[in-house]
Amino acid sequence: MIKLHSKLSLLAGENVDLGFLTITHDVNLPRSLAERSALISSDVDGIPDYFGCLLRPKGVLAGNKSTPQFLLPEDLMHLSEGDIVKIASDTLNLRVLYRRQSHQNSILLTERCNHYCLMCSQPPKNIDDSYLLDETKELVKRIPSDTHEIGFTGGEPTLYGDGFIDLIRLTKSYLPSTAIHVLSNGRAFQDIEFCRKYAAIDHHDVMVGIPIYSDDPVLHDYIVQSKGAFNETVRGILNLKSLGQRVEIRVVIHKQNAHKLVDLAEFIARNLLFVDHVALMGLEIIGFTRANMDKLWIDQFEYKDELSRAANHLKNNGMNVSIYNHQLCLVNPDIHFAYKKSISDWKNEYVDECKSCLKLNECGGFFSSAVQNRYSDNLKAFKN
Amino acid sequence: MIVEVLFQGHDLEVLEKAAYRFTNKFALVITTNGDNQICALDFPADKTEEAISFTIREFKNEVLDQKLRAKIKAESEPIRNLILAHAFSKTSLIKNEQV
Amino acid sequence: MSKFEVIEFFERPSESNYQLLPFSFDRLDGEKYILTNQAGEYITMDRMYLDKFINKKLSSTSQEYIKLRSRQFLLDETNSIAPELLALKVRTKYSRLSEFTSLHIFVVSLRCEHSCPYCQVSRQSEDKSAFDMSRDVALKSLDMVFRSPAEAVKIEFQGGEPLLNFDLIKFVVAEARRRNIEFKKNLGFVIATNLALVNREILAFCKENDVLISTSLDGPRDLHNHNRPRPGKNSYEKAIEGINLAREILGKYSVSALMTTTEASLSRPIEIIDEYLAHGFNGIFLRSLSPYGFAIKTKTYRAYKTAEWLEFYKKGLDYIIQLNKQGIPFQEYYATTILVKMLTSREPGYVDLMSPSGMGIAAVVYNYDGTVHPSDESRMLAEMGDNTFKMGNVLTDTYEEIFTSEALLNPLEESITKSVPMCHECAFEPYCGSEPVYHHALHGDFVARKAESDFCSKNMAIFKLLISLMEEDPFVKSLFMRWANKT
Repeated sequence: MIKLHSKLSLLAGENVDLGFLTITHDVNLPRSLAERSALISSDVDGIPDYFGCLLRPKGVLAGNKSTPQFLLPEDLMHLSEGDIVKIASDTLNLRVLYRRQSHQNSILLTERCNHYCLMCSQPPKNIDDSYLLDETKELVKRIPSDTHEIGFTGGEPTLYGDGFIDLIRLTKSYLPSTAIHVLSNGRAFQDIEFCRKYAAIDHHDVMVGIPIYSDDPVLHDYIVQSKGAFNETVRGILNLKSLGQRVEIRVVIHKQNAHKLVDLAEFIARNLLFVDHVALMGLEIIGFTRANMDKLWIDQFEYKDELSRAANHLKNNGMNVSIYNHQLCLVNPDIHFAYKKSISDWKNEYVDECKSCLKLNECGGFFSSAVQNRYSDNLKAFKN
Repeated sequence: MIVEVLFQGHDLEVLEKAAYRFTNKFALVITTNGDNQICALDFPADKTEEAISFTIREFKNEVLDQKLRAKIKAESEPIRNLILAHAFSKTSLIKNEQV
Repeated sequence: MSKFEVIEFFERPSESNYQLLPFSFDRLDGEKYILTNQAGEYITMDRMYLDKFINKKLSSTSQEYIKLRSRQFLLDETNSIAPELLALKVRTKYSRLSEFTSLHIFVVSLRCEHSCPYCQVSRQSEDKSAFDMSRDVALKSLDMVFRSPAEAVKIEFQGGEPLLNFDLIKFVVAEARRRNIEFKKNLGFVIATNLALVNREILAFCKENDVLISTSLDGPRDLHNHNRPRPGKNSYEKAIEGINLAREILGKYSVSALMTTTEASLSRPIEIIDEYLAHGFNGIFLRSLSPYGFAIKTKTYRAYKTAEWLEFYKKGLDYIIQLNKQGIPFQEYYATTILVKMLTSREPGYVDLMSPSGMGIAAVVYNYDGTVHPSDESRMLAEMGDNTFKMGNVLTDTYEEIFTSEALLNPLEESITKSVPMCHECAFEPYCGSEPVYHHALHGDFVARKAESDFCSKNMAIFKLLISLMEEDPFVKSLFMRWANKT
């Protein structure tokens, strides 16, 4: 698994507030760029003094006198050219905010949320973390403009109200050809005025991913632990679509809703046919999920037939469907049209049952959290 | 052949609506006497007794169904009209209003 | 960490009760009932639960309650969005109304060399050119066509046999395309022909102008020729020859075929379908015989009974489902039309199954003599002397006079199923249609007493059949969903 933060140790030089740093291996970088870069190098001599800081893989000091030098720890060895990081001057905690190689850069805007989902992967904190929004506004100015797509997530990003709108607008200005994917419960959009402001940005490619966990409002409200959530979320979706905005419906599947997937598919096809995409997703065992395993854990093998019927029902109604985070041996072949290889850290984590599998490369793989906590009892390697 | 069926305490409209569904089976005259309604069902001469009994049973069931329909209509008429008004309005969907 | 609430916390408060949303119900079979909500979505249920539901005795944690709530049959504190969802779906269903009139039928000639007993036009022989549409009438009719607000407009050439006046077809196509440079409508053309007179020159024109062909294929040779007498007794051979030639020049999917059902067809549904399979068609429209025109005058109609036709239809549909189970994709188009209404919020726009009626709204007919009729059937009636539905004449009347004439508006208004006896409360009303012309012709008024209407009993039987098939067999449910969505 790729770690996105780690504590550094200062080897030499002054500990100053360095701001955003772009990772580079290029010692010949022009001065104006080098000043805001972190150079990864093991050279002792010949490094100009104007680099923002030096990251030393083996801890061997370079000859520079004043430039801050840090030991590059093992779990940050993945850092590569173009990544953007920030080092907290008080704790020396390095956070990776943007990875050049990644297809799915996801930026956390806040940990505050007005839901409390049983399976939340980012448990809400009721704190003022608006510094994250400010930071993101700065980060967006640094992100390379050829970036294909970035994601804004939380918590609930729309809690910032106009601040959220400003961010989207800013992102459009600085990254005019970058697609944006926002994860939100959609409730803020039930306010048509807020929705209009959002639509007025007129972004060329922004999509809001909104979860609906059941066609039964009581079950949905229970899963997200908020009364009235279903109605407001659906109203938000209706408003967004009435203004021509792109919406994706996301469904995390677990024990509470797995056997009702077909009902949900029928509801979506009949009432929300106009949404742009439906994502059916396997459960990730982090955050609140661990505390609620008794309510949530279900072997993917047990609901594979419902998944087939639901996905095909949506497809038969002309909708776009994708299935994420499921292992290939635990789904039926009739959903291959929607199956996506979605977990990026596959190469690092696998379980013994999979060693001999012929379809390793086609499989979505596992979350490392699954490897550590729980995975299906029904895994079966594909032989010929 | 005329068969009389006695009903008690039913809405006249309920009986008429039920009978309307059987215009191909019998003609009907309803006489009201206080709380009683006497339905005179006029069957064609060639109908067998079995067929007539069957139709009368169906008719009675239909009366019960019509009663239910009247209930639905009474309760849901206002919101039905509201939904139609929204559907045909020129503006985009109005937020849900209390009926 | 805060506590997680149990699901009971999110239920509706037990002191309050639920509210019924508008719905209709009817018996499906025995104790099983069908309920349809305001958007035309259905649920099946035992009468026992239906009764409980209406009498407010249904428990909010029961399977039935949860299903009824999710499908907008009831309103409680937890699903306040339901009326908005219903309104949206109702709006979708009716949105086609503003896009009237999409199908414009030009009867370019009444002449025909066939003499089919069920035909609804006069049998004029080839040399009576008094029954051909003139350019004047054609031009004025095109004026009407382009006054239509519809984005997509289809011009269909009918007759008699339209190819007998091919010159006028060429004229209309060229003129329509010229005018469309300004209007930019999605303009389509189709010729409904028996193909006996088709040749390469005609087809070359069709190819160049994207004109589609719709022809008749009643079934195997003997049946087709029996239904469609012509000098030479070779209607079938001519039709097949024509289909092959048309496909070669226009492309396979530019040629469609329609069958007509006569008494002779009723015992042979499978052979007819096999005939369509043999000639590479992807589906068939199992039509019932329209009782108008000559049909009423001849024995054909009297011999023909709804129940027998239903048997024919059931057998045909069963066979088609069988084919699909064997991996042979083949579709039934009448079922498809109904399934669109049952399973989606779309309106298929099939003239005979619309309310308000599709007459004038979905289709209009410009007769060779300039008279305008709201449907083919009403044109038949006019030919027989009944001008109830005649909307006007392109040579003497304006668009406004024609399309707002009493002859059109009265039957439209009086036959809206949501406000006529029995239909307004029928569970199948969302799937059915008005058919004022049929009822006028057979029963003397636009509505008739539905208990006596073959139109009603036929359609109800089919609705029940389709729903039962879907309930009993998940394969059929999925198949029907794909038919309804063209996926």
